[in-house]
Amino acid sequence: MGSPDPASRWLPGGTVDVVLDQPALSLRGLVKQFGTKVAVAGVDLDVPVGSFYGLLGPNGAGKTTCLSMAVGVLRPTAGTARVLGHDVWSDPVTAKRLLGVLPDGVRLFDRLTGAELLGYTGLLRGMDPAVIDARSRELLDVLGLADAGQTLVVDYSAGMKKKIGLACALLHGPRVVVLDEPFEAVDPVSAALIRDILQRYVHGGGTVIFSSHVMEVVEKLCTHVAILADGRLRAVGHLDEVRAGRDLEDVFVELVGGRIATGQELSWL
Amino acid sequence: MAVSGAAGHRATVAGGTAAGRGDAARRGTGGPGVAVFVRLKLRLLRNALRGQRWRVVAFAIGLVFGAAVAVLAFLGLAATAMITPDAALVVAALTGAAVVLGWLLVPLLFFGVDDTLDPARFALLPLRRRTLAVGMLAAAFVGVPPLATLVASLGLVFAAGARDGAAAAVTALVGVVLTLLLCIVGSRAVSSAFASMLRSRRVRDLAAIVLAVLASSFGPLQLLVTSTATGGDLGPVAHATRVLGWTPLSAGYVASFDVAAGRPLLAVLRLVVVVAAIGLLLWWWSVTMESAMVGTASSSGRNRPAEATGGAVLSLYPRPLRWAPRTRFGAIYAREARYWWRDPRRRAGLVSITVSGAVLPVAFQVAGAGRHGHHVPLAIAVTMTGIVGGLVLTNQFGFDGTAYSAQLLTGVPGRTELAGRAAALLTAMVPVLTVVTTVVAVVAGAAGQVPVLLGCIAAGLGCSTGLSSVISVYAAYPLPDTANPFAMNTGGGGARGLLAFVAMLGALALVAPLTAVAVLLPGTLSWLVLPVGVGYGVGAVALGAYIGGDAVDRRGPDLLVAVTPRR
Repeated sequence: MGSPDPASRWLPGGTVDVVLDQPALSLRGLVKQFGTKVAVAGVDLDVPVGSFYGLLGPNGAGKTTCLSMAVGVLRPTAGTARVLGHDVWSDPVTAKRLLGVLPDGVRLFDRLTGAELLGYTGLLRGMDPAVIDARSRELLDVLGLADAGQTLVVDYSAGMKKKIGLACALLHGPRVVVLDEPFEAVDPVSAALIRDILQRYVHGGGTVIFSSHVMEVVEKLCTHVAILADGRLRAVGHLDEVRAGRDLEDVFVELVGGRIATGQELSWL
Repeated sequence: MAVSGAAGHRATVAGGTAAGRGDAARRGTGGPGVAVFVRLKLRLLRNALRGQRWRVVAFAIGLVFGAAVAVLAFLGLAATAMITPDAALVVAALTGAAVVLGWLLVPLLFFGVDDTLDPARFALLPLRRRTLAVGMLAAAFVGVPPLATLVASLGLVFAAGARDGAAAAVTALVGVVLTLLLCIVGSRAVSSAFASMLRSRRVRDLAAIVLAVLASSFGPLQLLVTSTATGGDLGPVAHATRVLGWTPLSAGYVASFDVAAGRPLLAVLRLVVVVAAIGLLLWWWSVTMESAMVGTASSSGRNRPAEATGGAVLSLYPRPLRWAPRTRFGAIYAREARYWWRDPRRRAGLVSITVSGAVLPVAFQVAGAGRHGHHVPLAIAVTMTGIVGGLVLTNQFGFDGTAYSAQLLTGVPGRTELAGRAAALLTAMVPVLTVVTTVVAVVAGAAGQVPVLLGCIAAGLGCSTGLSSVISVYAAYPLPDTANPFAMNTGGGGARGLLAFVAMLGALALVAPLTAVAVLLPGTLSWLVLPVGVGYGVGAVALGAYIGGDAVDRRGPDLLVAVTPRR
């Protein structure tokens, strides 16, 4: 974000050996089974460095499960996940240093204030306290959370919680950012702001993967798209390839196999 | 559906018939019957057990334990038919008081309240408050503790019938059922009221004091029971029971003795006392239930005075802990310290433990007074206090819930994780327990033993903290996502009690050598117990973090799954 020192001096990837021709995120044969239910049934995906990748899918398609396995918080039944060539499960320390994650449906340590939470996250990341302070102030300012002051995160609105979660994900300057439903419950003004931040991040050489079921956002932002349904990838590739000249929504509904209302049902409405 | 359901309800829930009948009269208006709530509770219970083997085991153990206690207590109470009516009256009155107080306090202090049917979940349904209250109440009867209490207290009915005939038996039955109703309504009302009290910051100190006073009322009661058991002199006790017999605590249990003595009006009057208490508690409960349904966690944290802001990192550290290092360990330490104070669930745990820490040695001391004049019981009692102090950590990851994912995402080393958490608990516990122990020792006239006692408590606290750190990695379980700090998942109370019990036995075994040395050492060398005990405790904590830390590194994601509430 073109910030003055010392915020820009601290780079987490500095000591990490990053192989440049590796994809930012590479999933191979990811499977997750809960009892007899198969949530993710073999996902192969390569996310190129510098791409803005949208993971689309209806509710219950396995998006969250898939991303959780990719970032190392859910143990896959089978398959591997690599971040810039580093295996998330066999070399977690390096992989997690390169990753910034905004999980969905997960509580934060929400009995801290926004600033305290950022301070905590930064120290857990092993960052220099002066850098944490500088970046936190900037992030809180940009995301409009500085006014919240001493309010605990538990008392934040849903949109504010998303924003502080995003701040935690970006704090250590990750190479790859994985966001689960970053635009859910966020008001249009904040959504535009988040889009702006993420686009600048991608222009600066970062990689973003995010899940959503809002077509407009994906069409506006993404360079690449993957469509997930029933735990399988139905379409993968450049946005224009997947669209093939049509509306993304039509492609999506066709691939996912949604039903069209005939007008007969729900006649009492 | 509702009609057949009501019949089923009567079959399943003894004692709920009064509520059922009232419901039948109202069914014409179209609200759901109580049977719906009862069946919902049974269904939730069954679904919670499905596919979770250890939960089924814990539930089965709870069931067997409950049945055994119920049958033993039934036999004991039935046997009062064979002693003099005066003595039987004393037993009945004390039993009644113990049962009601137990119902009110034990859930608060140790087990938590079964929160299967959380009133907040019904907030959007078009239910009248009365329908809801009656339904929740009927559902509260379904469970091991209410049925065990009912079975046990039927011994009183049996005794009354055998000694004084049918009229006394009927009175006793009514009294017993009313008292059970009082227990259930009371425990709901108290926990619900405490939940909303502890949620708001302003009254939390008051809540702590009230809880302390309530808990210490166990002390005098125990004194009464002990002196009855040992002295055999009924004089002062009989006087106390005369008073108790007119309080809702025991009135229901002693009413049948008035019938036997040819004073039926007095019996009716006693029952009216119980009914009035139930009515008052019901009113109180429905008021607090309403606030539980409307505002969850809304009052905390707003408009807090702005601290002098000195950057994100500095703000994380509470003022007395500013010296802590700015590292991963320091961050976890500071965050945990904040959480022991800010999270109502943890605060409730901390308060109960502090209180029981004060009460336990006093109770031991009172029970042992006159027979063992020397320091043996006190050293053991104090060790127990220390052990209880560390047990809060047995489900430390359950407190985090899904927030634990932050630790996973940042790849915190397991040993740092456990060490930071243990250090925060010890920071809170050590000063409190030091003060409590010193005060207890001085009050007990054993000021000279303070070093020995402090050594014992340090060893007990250290052993149970270390052991709990390890257990917490393997036996974590989710806590429900509600603002009620006493809430437990279905069937979770038994599991939680069992886990704490196992941890307590384990810690006792670990600390036993030191306690034995403390007891056996000649007086001139007893000061040695202090440094040795502290070293023993610190070593146990370090060992726990070392062993458990490895397990955290291996099991991190499984731990997150284990503490994620099922939705």
